[in-house]
Amino acid sequence: MVQAQAAGPGPAAVDSILDVDAVTLQYKTREHLITATYRVSFQVFPSDRFVLLGPSGCGKSTLLKGVAGYLKPAEGEMRLKGQAITKPGPDRVMVFQEFDQLLPWKTVKQNITFALLNGGRCQTKAQAEAIALEYIHKVKLDRFVDTYPHMLSGGMKQRVAIARGMAMEPDILLMDEPFAALDALTRRQMQEELLQLWEDTHFTVLFVTHSIEEALIIGSRVLVLSPHPGQVKAELNAHHLEHTNVGDETFAALQKRIHDMLFADRILEEEAAPHV
Amino acid sequence: MSENSVQLQIRPEYEAQGLGAADHGEIAHSLSLFERIRNINAVRKFSILLGLIVLWELYVRIGGISEYLLPPFSTTGRALVMAFWDENLLAMIGSSITILLFGYVIGILIATALTTLAVTSRFGSDLLGTLTAMLNPLPAIALLPMALLWFGLGPDAIVFTLLHSVVWPVALNTHTGFLGVSDTQRMVGRNYGLRGLTYVAKILIPAAFPSILTGLRIGWAYAWRTLIAAELVFGGSIIDTEGTSSGGLGWFIFSNQMDLRIPYVFAGLFTVIVVGVLVENVVFRKIEQRTVARWGMQTQ
Repeated sequence: MVQAQAAGPGPAAVDSILDVDAVTLQYKTREHLITATYRVSFQVFPSDRFVLLGPSGCGKSTLLKGVAGYLKPAEGEMRLKGQAITKPGPDRVMVFQEFDQLLPWKTVKQNITFALLNGGRCQTKAQAEAIALEYIHKVKLDRFVDTYPHMLSGGMKQRVAIARGMAMEPDILLMDEPFAALDALTRRQMQEELLQLWEDTHFTVLFVTHSIEEALIIGSRVLVLSPHPGQVKAELNAHHLEHTNVGDETFAALQKRIHDMLFADRILEEEAAPHV
Repeated sequence: MSENSVQLQIRPEYEAQGLGAADHGEIAHSLSLFERIRNINAVRKFSILLGLIVLWELYVRIGGISEYLLPPFSTTGRALVMAFWDENLLAMIGSSITILLFGYVIGILIATALTTLAVTSRFGSDLLGTLTAMLNPLPAIALLPMALLWFGLGPDAIVFTLLHSVVWPVALNTHTGFLGVSDTQRMVGRNYGLRGLTYVAKILIPAAFPSILTGLRIGWAYAWRTLIAAELVFGGSIIDTEGTSSGGLGWFIFSNQMDLRIPYVFAGLFTVIVVGVLVENVVFRKIEQRTVARWGMQTQ
C-alpha cells in the first residue's frame, strides 16, 4: 500500500501519476474562443486526494475534462504515468455531477459490468459480475443490484457511479462535483463514505468542487484556481482536516485564507464602490 | 419597525412522546371492486367502443338508412364472418402483412444506414437533413404510378412505395433522438473507449430509443395506410408467384365495392382498423413496456 504523499516540498519518494504542465485550455462557443485555463501546472501523486478548487469560471471542470481526454490543450501537455493524454480511456474514469451518467437501460449491476467488459478490465461476464457485486457491496447498495437507475434516489445514483468508477480500478478517478446536486444531509454522508472508501484502498482521485469546506474535508492537497481565465493561485495541504475539524480554529483559518485569496479582488471592488 | 408588523410569537417547545400506532387507522385502504374495475384502461376503452357500436346500429335502424349506403353493425359483423369463412379474408390479410413486413424491415435497415452516416459525418448529416426535408412531405402513394412503370405490375412497386413511407419518418426520429442524447452519456461511453459502430450500437441507440420507437410507430402507421391505398388501386393487377391474384385487403375492399356488396366493404374497413389497433396496442405497447417504460425513459 502506498502512503499518502508527505506534506511540504522536497524530493518525492514516489513518481507522480499525473503531470499537468503549463496547460492552456480553450473551447469555442458560437461567437467566442474562450480561454478556460491559462498555463496551469500541477502534479498528482499516487493516493492523493487532489482537489481543484475555485469559483465558477475558473476552468476547473474544463481542466478535468482535459485530463479525461475529452479536450486537447492549446498549449502545454498532460501526462498520465509519463504518457501524453490524447483521448478518453478507461485508465481515467470520470464520475459526473449529472445523475444521468448511469445508463438508464441497464440495472445497477449491469451498469458496472458494462463498464468492466467494454473498458477491457474483464474478459468474462462471470468475472465482471463478481467484481460488480463486490463494489456494490462497498457502497452499501446490495438490495438494489437489479434495480434500474430511475428507481434510485440522487445519492444512490452517485454511489453507483462511484462504485462503477472504483470497480474499473483506474490509475486516477476523476470526480466532477459529484455531490453538488445532492441535498446537504446526503452530501455530508457521501463525503464521509468517500473518505472511508479511500481509507480502504488509497485510490488516487482528482476532485473538482467550488465549496471551500468540501475541498478541505475531501482533499489531501488543494489547488486553488482564480477565475477568467483559470490560473493557479496556490497549492495547499489539507490532509490533516476532516469533518470533525469543521469549526476548529485551524480549519476556519485555512478556510478564511482561501476565501480571501479567491475574493480579494472582489472585496477591493466593493470597497471602491461608494456606499449608499 | 413599521406599525403594521406583528411581534414574533415565541411559544414553548415540545417533543412527541411515543407515537401511537393504533390511532391513525389503516394506512393503506384497498379500493372498492367498482373503483378497481374502473381503473382498468381496457375496460374503459371497451365501453366507449361498445357505445359507438350501439349508436351505429340504432342510427341505421331507426333512421331507415339504405343498406347500400351504411349497413348496420349486425350485417357488417355477419359479412365479416362470411368473409373469413368463404372469401379467404385471412389469406388477404396475410398477403398484405407479408408485403408490409418486407417493406418495413428493409426500410428500417436503410434508415439505420442513413442515420449512422449522419451521426458519423457532417456530410451524412447534411444529406439526411436535405433528403428528409424534401421527401418526407411527399405522400408515398403519389410515387406509385411511377413505381409501376419502373418496377412493373408486381409487389416490387408496392414495396418501393412502402420504403418511401417508412424510411423518412424512422430516419428523422432516430436522428433527432441521437442528437438529443445527453453529453454526459456520450462522455460515459467514450470513457470506456467505445467508438464508431460499437458506440452507436451500445450508447446512442439505447439512449435514443424513446424517439426511435416513436419513429417506428409512425413509420408503421404510414406504411399500413400506403399499402391499403396502393392495393385499393392496383391490388388486382398484382400477380404473385403462383399466378393468382391475392390482392390484399385493399383490393378486397375495392372489388366488393365494384360488386355493390357494401357490408363486405365495411367488413374490409373494419379489418384494416382492427389490424392497425392490434399492432399499436399489442406489439408496440409490449415493446414499450419492456424497454422505455421499464427504463423510466418515457417522454410523457
